Amino acid sequence: MDRRNFIRLISRGLVTAALWPRLGQAADAKDKRPIQFTFAQIKYRGGDWNPHPLAVTPLMEELMLRTSVDAATARREVSHTDRDLFSYPFLYITGKYEFEPFSQDEIDVLRRFVSYGGFLLIDDALGQAGYGFDKAMRREMQRVLPGSEFKRLPSGHAALRSYYLMRRIGGVRMVNSFLEGINVGNSTPVVYCQNDLGGAWERDQLGKWTNPCTPGGEEQRRDAFHLGINLILYAMTENYKDDLIHVPFIRKRLTR
Amino acid sequence: MKDFYLIGNLPGWVIALAALGVVALLAQQFVSLKKRLAVGPSTFLVLLRTCVYSVLIFFLFGPAIVENRVAKLRPPLTVLIDTSESMAFPASPKPMPEGKPGKSRIDVVKEKLLDGKESLIHKLSREYDLRLYRLGTSLEPISPDSIGQLKATDQGSRILELLQVAAKDSPPQSALLIFSDGITNGDKKTLDGSPPLSIPVFAVDVGETEGFTDARIADLRAPEFAFRGREFKVDLTIQTSGLKGKTIPVYFNRGKNLITSRTINVDADLFEQKITLSFTPRDLGPHSFNVAIPNQPGEQITGNNQKEFKVDVRRDKVRVLTLSGSPAWNYRFLRMAMKQDPLIELVSFVFLRTPTDSVDVPENQLSLIPFPIDDIFLEELKNFDVVVFDDFSHRAYFNPVYLDRVRDFVRDGGGLAMFGGSRAFDAGGYADSSLKEVLPVELDGKGSYQTQAMLRPVLTASGKAHPVTRLLPDPKANEEAWNKMPPLTAFNRIRAARGETLLTAGDGSADNAPLLTVGRFGKGRTMALMSDEAWRWNFIAVGNRETPQNHLKLIRQAVRWLAQEPSFEQVQIHPIPLSRPGEKVAIKLRVLKDDFTPTAQASVQLRVMGPDGDPVIVSTTADTEEGEYTGDFTPTKDGSYRVEAEASLAGKALGKDKTSFSVAFPYGETDDGRPRPELLKKIAETSHGSFFSINDWNEKTFDQIEAKLESQAPSQIVERRQTRLWSTFWPFAFVLVLLGVEWWMRRTWGLI
Repeated sequence: MDRRNFIRLISRGLVTAALWPRLGQAADAKDKRPIQFTFAQIKYRGGDWNPHPLAVTPLMEELMLRTSVDAATARREVSHTDRDLFSYPFLYITGKYEFEPFSQDEIDVLRRFVSYGGFLLIDDALGQAGYGFDKAMRREMQRVLPGSEFKRLPSGHAALRSYYLMRRIGGVRMVNSFLEGINVGNSTPVVYCQNDLGGAWERDQLGKWTNPCTPGGEEQRRDAFHLGINLILYAMTENYKDDLIHVPFIRKRLTR
Repeated sequence: MKDFYLIGNLPGWVIALAALGVVALLAQQFVSLKKRLAVGPSTFLVLLRTCVYSVLIFFLFGPAIVENRVAKLRPPLTVLIDTSESMAFPASPKPMPEGKPGKSRIDVVKEKLLDGKESLIHKLSREYDLRLYRLGTSLEPISPDSIGQLKATDQGSRILELLQVAAKDSPPQSALLIFSDGITNGDKKTLDGSPPLSIPVFAVDVGETEGFTDARIADLRAPEFAFRGREFKVDLTIQTSGLKGKTIPVYFNRGKNLITSRTINVDADLFEQKITLSFTPRDLGPHSFNVAIPNQPGEQITGNNQKEFKVDVRRDKVRVLTLSGSPAWNYRFLRMAMKQDPLIELVSFVFLRTPTDSVDVPENQLSLIPFPIDDIFLEELKNFDVVVFDDFSHRAYFNPVYLDRVRDFVRDGGGLAMFGGSRAFDAGGYADSSLKEVLPVELDGKGSYQTQAMLRPVLTASGKAHPVTRLLPDPKANEEAWNKMPPLTAFNRIRAARGETLLTAGDGSADNAPLLTVGRFGKGRTMALMSDEAWRWNFIAVGNRETPQNHLKLIRQAVRWLAQEPSFEQVQIHPIPLSRPGEKVAIKLRVLKDDFTPTAQASVQLRVMGPDGDPVIVSTTADTEEGEYTGDFTPTKDGSYRVEAEASLAGKALGKDKTSFSVAFPYGETDDGRPRPELLKKIAETSHGSFFSINDWNEKTFDQIEAKLESQAPSQIVERRQTRLWSTFWPFAFVLVLLGVEWWMRRTWGLI
């Protein structure tokens, strides 16, 4: 190595060393800010409550990258009877198979949860209508909110425009091109997707996507991430995007 | 007058039988006499006896003389003279020479009654049993001597009601004579539905209608209160006389400022048109408006060209602007609390993205809107009542001038709340901003946002009674409710509270640091909640099977207090009803201390400003009910009056309030000066009287009245005497004479 190259190498090293703490700080800055959102996932008996154990971190990273929300990268696992369940107004429940019916206490807790301001995202990881997780979940929700039924969310629903203006929803597979939800008053505290969103979010420890998305491929996966972000922001801002001040802008953008 | 009657009560057949008996007796007597005397003397004697028996038979019929002594009395007559204010108007619309003022209607009446060699009132007193009254809002008896001093000062004329009263009080054969311009403004304005008068009315019309010129606002209907930002309507009726062909403007003003005007085209001599005006108020509080018609040429009455009214403008909703630094659970539950409150209109902006966040789609695929910062802070801020900075740092978005606007907004009466978080208070850079002096906390730039704590809200002595933190009316139950509130895990530590601390953070590590403080800045109110986790008081409470209502109530009460809702004011003047000039008005107000308990120790300044604008200081006294004060004021004029009250305790201002009230005569006597001869004519017709115009009054008029009264009121029989002929001397003497002559003739002819 000649003197010129040596000096060049040392200079780069010094610059890198000088910047390294700052780069670290920039990366850590968001980690040091207080956590505003924690992704809480429900554990239940029977079935398979955790089909995609590595799904949450990629979604949280995406959430923090794209929005002003500071989130915990790791999920919180909760059961219905956890004392601090209500510290997490956003709950996620997923699975593939039939599971044991919830106890009456668990039903009461879930009912209070969704009736007084909580949000529940239901994600069918199997995608078989009337079978397995879908069958069990619909049965249990009838017990949680008797007389209510899942209705298709209209394309203009606030959840589909809380951040991204969504024209499609994603997931591992396109079982439905729409979301379903249960309304309580003016809001929709229960949203159900049968397309396996968690499967689309999941990335293995090497950073590779665990499940291919069909038929839309990576665009479909991106829609799944967008939907996840939208649902989190919908849970945190409710029908904010239905406020009059937003309507003309949104209408204008959607007609382009 | 004497009349002859047969008043006997014997049956006819008895008398007939007696007569037959008498005839038989006479025949027998004739036969008996003829034996002793010639036919002539016998006949003479029988004739004498026949006369006697005839008289006796006649007496069986009960003849009597009935004497009717008719005494003719003076008939009663009630004279009513209208002395209402309208009688002060000119009797004739014709202009007088050399600009001299014309005679008023009351002057014309006085002239008619008092002038002449023998005055009319004197003639009436001579011919009639006269009762004299002045007529206005009531009947007041007067003497003929006082007619010359009569003045038209009565505030109203209840002609139809008082005619009924006068007719009821008069004897049956009497009459009423009324001198009036026919303007009536009692409860009854027409004869429809009125019972007929029992005695005739002679109505004398005073005041000429021909040539009468007037434009007036006959009727005005406006709401007593209106909502800010919402249009209210005012319905008017414009009436004109004698202005056919004219174009008349109508002006709608607020104070001295013109709001709008309309033009009316008058197409008839007696013209009426209804119009509707509208206004959208922007400012709260009582406002005075007036509707006015400019004086028209030849108009005799101009006092009715304008009408004033007041409208109290209230907010229909409290408009709240929230700025949230990011989506957060605090925002969700704050929004939920405000959206559920029908009194609150929420406009919120949530910063979903920071400048450092990267986006993976074109902007047109995002629902993000540009934050209209100039519109909000340079134009629209005054249209909000409360601004909330919810974990929001001004650094990334605000020019310092915007914060200056917020400061001015609060100084001018707006409300400001700051909720904690990592972007609020010192962490948000507010120690170096113009909001430093506004917030009810002291910021030195060193405060921090701390997490991993377990803080319980502790109610202070001030917080126990303050309307923001008084969740339940019972103090003990309120304290228990606060004790049950779930703990918070994060809060903003600040240097110190500047305002009143309602809650402290109860925990060893927090050292009872201020958690919720309130204060005032200029005319506005401020609040600081040193945590972004108030949502836990809602949702965690639900998880604990407690009520979330306490959190919802806290938010709503905070908004109302910041917006200075009347029920949260420490000084409140009670509504003052419509009053009359000369009538004492009791102005009542309530004064509360800073802890919202009543106080009898406050120093109260009360000012009343009348239509002329001159303030009058009114002294107040504390009532027996603690916290209530009263000041007495007597308005002398009609119009709109403004009241301002301020209270202080131990040198510290407690608050202010203002209101207004109206003073008016109830009858509107001078609103419409056009004489109403048609009403007087109808009264005369329906009562079978007569109608006259005072200008046409002459000697024949008096005779006409007399003749009509004579035909309707016959002479009265005062005495009736009945004398039976049987009890009088002459028939008895006649019978004796006949018997005496017969005796003498019998003796002469030797029968005795």
